[in-house]
Amino acid sequence: MDIRIQKIDETGTEYIEIGCYKVDGRVQDIVRFVKSRQGSIDAVKDEQHYQLPITDIFYLEAVDDKTFIYLKKDCYETRGRLYEFESSLSDRDFARISKSVIVNLMKVSAIKPALNGRFMCVLSNGEKVIISRKYVPDIKKKLKGEE
Amino acid sequence: MKERLVDALRSFFIIVTLINVAMLVLGGALMPDQKFGYEAFAYPLIYGAVTSIPGLFMGSSKELSIPQTIVRDIIQLLLIITALLVIMFGGRPVDRDTVLSAASVTVSVIIVFILVSLIRWILDSKAAEKMTADLEAYQRRS
Repeated sequence: MDIRIQKIDETGTEYIEIGCYKVDGRVQDIVRFVKSRQGSIDAVKDEQHYQLPITDIFYLEAVDDKTFIYLKKDCYETRGRLYEFESSLSDRDFARISKSVIVNLMKVSAIKPALNGRFMCVLSNGEKVIISRKYVPDIKKKLKGEE
Repeated sequence: MKERLVDALRSFFIIVTLINVAMLVLGGALMPDQKFGYEAFAYPLIYGAVTSIPGLFMGSSKELSIPQTIVRDIIQLLLIITALLVIMFGGRPVDRDTVLSAASVTVSVIIVFILVSLIRWILDSKAAEKMTADLEAYQRRS
C-alpha cells in the first residue's frame, strides 16, 4: 500500500483518504487507529455500535482473546488488541498497569498497596484495578513526568 | 521471574533479621544455658533461604485479587512451617520437649511471617502515598 502525504492550506479541513480494493480487516485496523488518535474508539454493546470518547474511558481489559472497555458504569467490547491501544494511547493519559489492563490515569483517585509489592488503583467510580509489580517502575516514571 | 526473585531477596533479608530476634527470644526462654559454635550464625541464613524458596515457585500467570493473594500467602506460610519443622525436628522421637519446641517454632514462624507482611505493607503504603501525590501532580499538569 502506497502512502502519500499532502500538505494542505491551514484554512482547509485535515483529512485521511484510503484508496483500497475492498474494506477488509487491514483497512478497518487503520480506521480504528486513526479514530483512536482523534479521540474516540469503536466499541460494541448488545450488538449496537458506539463511538466512545477516550476521555470517558476508565480502563481497558483483555480477557482471553477479547478486549473490553470500561466506562463509569458500562462495559463495551472492541475489536482492537490491548497492545494496539497501548501504542495509540501511550501519549495520552493512559498507562499499562498489568499484562491485561490499561488504565486512564485521569480516572484514578488514589493508589493503595495490594500485598506482595503490588499496588491498586482506586478509580473515581469506586472500582479497583491491580498494578502488577512489573509495571510499577514504569508507572512511577510516568507519574513523575519522566516518560 | 525477575520480580519474584527481587521479592524473595527482599523477604530473605527481613526474615533473617526476624529469625535472629526469634532465636534470641525463644532460646532465652526454652534453653537459656545452651552454648553454640560459630555455625549458629549460619542458622538464620539457612532458615531464611528455606523459607524464601516457596515464594519463588508460587507465582501466578494471572493477576491475583487481594483475597486470592491472602489464600496463597497462607498456603506459603503452611509450606514454610512444614519445611522448617522437617529440617529442625525430622527423625527426632516425638516427646513432650519436641512437641513444645515444635509448637514454639510454629508460633515464632507465624509471628515472623506476620511481622514480615506488616513491614512490607508499611513500606508499600509509604510508596503508595508517594505515588498518589505524584498522581495528583500529574493530573494537575494534564
